[in-house]
Amino acid sequence: MTKGVLLFASNNKSIDYVKQAIFLAKRIRKYMDLPTSIVTDTDIESMYPNDVDVFDYVIYSNDMNKNSTNKRYADGDFSDKTLKFNNKNRASAYDLTPYDSTIVMDTDYIISNDLLNNCFIQQKDLLLYKDATHIGIHKIVPEFEKVSDTSVDFYWATVFFFRKTEENKIFFNLISHIEENYIHYRNMYQFKTSVYRNDFAFSIAVHIMNGYQKGNFVGSLPGTKFYATDKDVAIDIKDDEIKILVQKNKRLGEYTGVNLKGSNCHIMNKFSLERIIDQ
Amino acid sequence: MTNNFTMLAQNSDFDYVRQACLAAMSIHATNKDVSICLITNNSVPTKYKPLFDHIVEIPWGDHAADEDWKISNRWKIYHAIPYNETVVIDTDMLILEDINSWFDFLKNYDLFYTSNVYTYRGELVDDNYYRKAFKKYSLPNLYSGFHWFKKSDLAHEFYTWLEMITNNWQQFYKAAGNGKKFALRPSMDVSAAVACKIMDIEHLITNSKVKNPTFTHMKPKVQNWDVNFAYRWQDRVGVYFDSNLSLKIGNHQQSGIFHYTEKDFLNNNLMKKYEKCLGI
Repeated sequence: MTKGVLLFASNNKSIDYVKQAIFLAKRIRKYMDLPTSIVTDTDIESMYPNDVDVFDYVIYSNDMNKNSTNKRYADGDFSDKTLKFNNKNRASAYDLTPYDSTIVMDTDYIISNDLLNNCFIQQKDLLLYKDATHIGIHKIVPEFEKVSDTSVDFYWATVFFFRKTEENKIFFNLISHIEENYIHYRNMYQFKTSVYRNDFAFSIAVHIMNGYQKGNFVGSLPGTKFYATDKDVAIDIKDDEIKILVQKNKRLGEYTGVNLKGSNCHIMNKFSLERIIDQ
Repeated sequence: MTNNFTMLAQNSDFDYVRQACLAAMSIHATNKDVSICLITNNSVPTKYKPLFDHIVEIPWGDHAADEDWKISNRWKIYHAIPYNETVVIDTDMLILEDINSWFDFLKNYDLFYTSNVYTYRGELVDDNYYRKAFKKYSLPNLYSGFHWFKKSDLAHEFYTWLEMITNNWQQFYKAAGNGKKFALRPSMDVSAAVACKIMDIEHLITNSKVKNPTFTHMKPKVQNWDVNFAYRWQDRVGVYFDSNLSLKIGNHQQSGIFHYTEKDFLNNNLMKKYEKCLGI
């Protein structure tokens, strides 16, 4: 039974997701001792000849920016850019992965421990995070609790684990179907944003696979998913230690320093992440 | 083995007997080998009479004659039923699946009240809106909308207390509230909680560790909504009842017992769907 990590990376004009993926793949090797493969539309051999070896497989896809939407990317309180958001491809993970058991991660997920290796010994064939903890600890974000106020539980698609099973094939086909009919599902599940979100598609698919009820189709990934929003600013990553300025609630431009050691963390502020990688 | 259901319905400006008929249809649509008793002083439409194995008059006169919200006869259920044991449900409930297996659990008890109820999304209700007094005065968190009893010394004593509390609710509630009035009118949930507390039998008549028996409680303020301006839950989420009598509320498939609480949930279409299914 083969196992490894699969990343998706499609650059837009300001954010180099491939660079993030290279950074992450090195950390996955260091902390988890797992091979990493990448799905991309970027010619990595030409653009990153010195780093291409960090990947087990480089899988080229021409579909990565089909129907891409625009999204506002913030960089702390005072800066943001509206950029292409090429994220409609997670459903293809089932078909594209070279592994029997796969952990899929967003490239802005920072690995600092081997906790996720425990996925491979879990009985459940599909694992997601339902809950996540903001590194500011006290911040509760309703949009990360439910897809909408009256609708279904929110699941994170930032990182997930799956084995290649017939049931999971149906699950990923369902995500494709939701992606293709996103406006319909947006109306059905009453969420406001028109930007396609993998989190929403996964949440709806989990709900449907559970028979439109609470159920146990999906298991929980090991450990806690920490995250920093794009209003927070990551300022340093050294070994397993991440330093982040956390936006103060209702105090524009004011931050609290947080030091996270030995924990994985989802850094949504991609600009600050790239600044750290470039250091 | 027949499992018994009992409802008490008294019409006011609203036709609770019709609600009971719908509830009875929902029981027959999903549960075999059941017997249903309706306790009422009102007439039951002829076509619905076969739904009930027993239609029993409220004994000893109508103690709720002057009430809009008629609960003063509820304590008589114990004495009126033709059964040795029964589940008692509110009339504004639908039974959406076979719950006969619940009786295997209930038969372990002389008296049982559910103390955990759920939202339409299957989340445990933590009622900080309607049940403030329960928390403030440490009353047992009982829901009388679904309960069970066997004719037994314990249940008889409990219902005797319920009679006294119902007839003297101001005094009993004041005593339970440490001398403070906390209710403008009596409620069966509070009265049952007070009786339970007086008898100190919470450990004998409920079990918060089990998921079932329970029901989905549709009071709008307990649905874990952030935006809670709705007076009616039907203003916030859609009702989708298909011809197979499968019910979705919003995005969520319903099962078990559905306590719809809002009177206009019952409409002619719903009645007809059940009638068609049962050949009435």
